[in-house]
Amino acid sequence: MRRQCRGLAATLRAAFAEAAANRRALLFQMGVMILNDLAWIAFWVLFFRKAGEVNGWDRDRVILLQAVLTCAGGITLGVFANARRVGTLVLDGGLDSVLSLPTHPLAHLLVKRIEAINLGDMVFGVCLFAVAGHPTPGRVTVFIAVVIASVIVQVGFLVLTGSLAFFAGRNDGGDLGFNALMLLGNYPVTLFAGFTRVVLYSVVPAAFIATVPAQLIDHVDLGQMVTMAVVAAVFSGAAVSLFTLGLRRYSSGSVFTRA
Amino acid sequence: MTARALRLAVATSGRRVLAVPGALLMTAIFYAIVAAVIAGVWRSAANANDGLIAGYSAASITWYLFASEAGTISMNFRLMDDIGADIASGEIAVELLRPVSVVSHRIFIEFGRVLPKLAVCLAVALPLGWFAGGPPPSPAGLLWAMPSLVLAVACNIVAQHACAAASFWLRESRTTWFIYQKGVFMLGGMLIPLEVLPGWLRSVSNATPFPSMAYAPARLASGHVEPHLIVVQLAWLCVLGGVAAAAFGLGERRLQVVGG
Repeated sequence: MRRQCRGLAATLRAAFAEAAANRRALLFQMGVMILNDLAWIAFWVLFFRKAGEVNGWDRDRVILLQAVLTCAGGITLGVFANARRVGTLVLDGGLDSVLSLPTHPLAHLLVKRIEAINLGDMVFGVCLFAVAGHPTPGRVTVFIAVVIASVIVQVGFLVLTGSLAFFAGRNDGGDLGFNALMLLGNYPVTLFAGFTRVVLYSVVPAAFIATVPAQLIDHVDLGQMVTMAVVAAVFSGAAVSLFTLGLRRYSSGSVFTRA
Repeated sequence: MTARALRLAVATSGRRVLAVPGALLMTAIFYAIVAAVIAGVWRSAANANDGLIAGYSAASITWYLFASEAGTISMNFRLMDDIGADIASGEIAVELLRPVSVVSHRIFIEFGRVLPKLAVCLAVALPLGWFAGGPPPSPAGLLWAMPSLVLAVACNIVAQHACAAASFWLRESRTTWFIYQKGVFMLGGMLIPLEVLPGWLRSVSNATPFPSMAYAPARLASGHVEPHLIVVQLAWLCVLGGVAAAAFGLGERRLQVVGG
């Protein structure tokens, strides 16, 4: 186990070094992503300027939601960049090179590649929380905890939907799951009622990647904390199980890849 | 011969999409979820403001968003990125051997791919929009929105090709894609009706082609019968077509492909 962790840490270090090799490109891409995130903030500022408070949500609370979402999304898509490529790798026979390694294939796959552009999200999220999240030691602690939980839910969901490619032979579910999660995570889920709310708490767990974490930062609730932890455990467990099960059906692409 | 080749390109790519009903079903599900959620946010806002927001009632904002989302979700999400990758990798060089222009052929193929998906989105939009927001505020507006949606996706496809041509010089188009996408979201009125923007930003938006890609069909579907929006779309389609052709023409001359 310890040797596995050392191996994964070395892989992650190498991935960071590769991403940072072209520093100017890294900074430019991060800058573009920050601009992208600012557009979402502008959207919400304009929305609440017209709408006022809606179902208990106002501009400040949604900005907090965006801080969690961008930070957790940046870590998921930046540091664990392969999470969204699982389906493509499965279909292209791109898992060959990881199967012979002494580390768990999924763990190695997840830390193998850094997507520099999404690190901009992570930086933006932290800065946004520092500027507009009213940080106190207590809120910072909760922020860190909920961001970690949100990352686990997102990575779990992406691996889960990507792993469907082992069985379906197509990656439509993975692509749409990714886009649905990223788009719907931007909205406070409690604005919705009925069936839509059920979907956002279950099939596409958008509620647990930003809305619930943002609520927890504003108001720590033990029941919600436990729910968040259980959801993270369920999604990560289901993702590992489905990926491991799917590997039995994997057929090699007979190609050398860097995964 | 060129016209026939381009017609064939549309028909063939359309048939390819129709041959995979599973993918079309996924598009329909994704569209239904996203349109319902986004329209739900705006309906909540309208209901919290005595049933009216930026001049739109809860029903008209619902139809606005169902139309704007249909035009964008039926598109390939990463079209510009894919074109840029083909240019940067040199894959596009093979297409230069065809007797039709590369950019026209690519645009028509993409148009053929989008049309079946657009039809599926509309088939979902009509019952779901009715269920979520009530009957369309103006049947005439809804009818005008149909050709406007076709023009909207055409403008979007052509504009993405025009922007992706930057890859001939920059070797990538992902960063351009991120900025472009936000242009459609905000300045194009996909997520936010242009009436919500402050005056100066609305002037900026009106000077760009983005409203022709989302706002025009959405405004018509929301019950505002303003056919001049279609004239504006046609004008932008011509301009963007000229820019895309010129950019590809220049780029193809400097394309360098290493290896075979």
